[in-house]
Amino acid sequence: MEVLLKGRPIVPGIAKGTALVSTKPISFLGGVDPETGVVIEREHDLYGKSIKDSILCFPSGHGSTVGSFVLYSLARRGLAPRAIVNSVADSVVVVGAIIANIPMVDEIDITKINTGEVVEVDGGSGIIRIFRK
Amino acid sequence: MYLTKEEEKIYDGELGWAYQISMRILVKLGDLYGAERLIPIGSAHISGVSYKTINDAPIEFLRALLESGGRVKVKATTNPSGIDYSNPIFTLLPAELIGKQKAIVDLYKEMGIEDSLTCTPYYIEPPKSGTHLSWAESSAVIYANSIFNAWTNREGGPSALASALIGKTPNYGLHMPENRRFSALVKVEAAIRSEADYGALGIYLGKILGNRIPLISGLSSRDEDFLKQMGAAMATSGSVPMFYLGKPETVEAHEIITVENRDIQNVYENLSSALEKPDLVFIGCPHCSLNEIKTIASLIKGRKVKSDVKLWVCTSRFIRKKASDYVRVIEASGGQVICDTCAVVTWLRDLGIDTLMTNSAKTAYYAPLTNKVKVVFSTLKDCMIAACAE
Repeated sequence: MEVLLKGRPIVPGIAKGTALVSTKPISFLGGVDPETGVVIEREHDLYGKSIKDSILCFPSGHGSTVGSFVLYSLARRGLAPRAIVNSVADSVVVVGAIIANIPMVDEIDITKINTGEVVEVDGGSGIIRIFRK
Repeated sequence: MYLTKEEEKIYDGELGWAYQISMRILVKLGDLYGAERLIPIGSAHISGVSYKTINDAPIEFLRALLESGGRVKVKATTNPSGIDYSNPIFTLLPAELIGKQKAIVDLYKEMGIEDSLTCTPYYIEPPKSGTHLSWAESSAVIYANSIFNAWTNREGGPSALASALIGKTPNYGLHMPENRRFSALVKVEAAIRSEADYGALGIYLGKILGNRIPLISGLSSRDEDFLKQMGAAMATSGSVPMFYLGKPETVEAHEIITVENRDIQNVYENLSSALEKPDLVFIGCPHCSLNEIKTIASLIKGRKVKSDVKLWVCTSRFIRKKASDYVRVIEASGGQVICDTCAVVTWLRDLGIDTLMTNSAKTAYYAPLTNKVKVVFSTLKDCMIAACAE
């Protein structure tokens, strides 16, 4: 079964991968280790998980604008998510996704996506396909 | 968003990757926040300079911009770094930190960005009224909008850098007259006298206001150094971009926030986490004006800083030079007048500091979080009493 969600296109590009879904905002500065791609913020529901190659779904970004540069560093090291899906795009994540060239869509009800599902994101059209068994 | 032919060429990459990525950032932010076009800016002020704050993440991006030919199109200044290279106390820091910090400042300089390394670029060159800016550093943003009537959004490091390379910013938010009106009224009934009181008031108001613009009545002084403390604090506990002073003509349709003595007292109590005596007394957040350094010199003249306390007065190289007579007085008393950095963005613990005393509400708010030190928050006069032997 295929489920379609339509959001707002932010950064173009098509990516397919496994969803990693969080209910908490992410601050890339201090929240994700740029050397490993692992979430290091202790209070976070993704604590200890790697965001590498995931379709990373979270409500919004927050925190320092340096977070944009962390996404760039992750991408340079091959540790970035394949795509980013947000409820509400925040400028820190948007700028990070642009400079790291990560497809991104927002205005998505991310509670409709479950961790582990295979998802395809089209950052140019804003369409997200969830492939359910 | 409407782009001119020239802007479209940059967007399509005809001038190289550095300008293309900068243009993409500005256009996307403009799309998100409803801008219809880009507008020219008078200057950009870039945050994200201290290696303590930004770490390694931006170095690769800055180097890539530089290598693809990125150079600034307008005057661009930088926020404080982590080190004053002219002051021997910073040689105590690990060599790796010293080297990385220098590499960051050099990358900015090679792109044509001035190594002003101060959070108060407006003392070096005051922005003209009505000029559009792309400034990061929240304390400078609120000061530029409120004191100089220059027009800037609260930018972050990357967007201010992109604006510096393009020479433009998307026209939204505080660049539009309709978004510069006040939407909350503040009535100060508390006795607000010292610069520290203004800072405490700012912390209290920032929490309530969030990102709203207030009209504040009931303040006895409009001393710009005091207002600098209030603004910096409002932009710390909240994200207030601008304030007005004066009495409202009508009070209809606006929330009224009343501030009483006990509200200010609560802020003092919350910001002070230390009972022990400080090992660092820090003045200069935001960086000191010429007048503030003059006041410090007059308070400290003929006295000696205690042997077990450090006194740091932080400012820009520009102001330090202008204040050379006062600097001599402060240094003769055993204080340090430090440039290019401040207590918040340097490695305090590595420099042996556990407890800090300051008259800056912004520093008192941040230092326990970012520097893991204990804080005493009080007035400049109290700070000088704590620093000096009897």
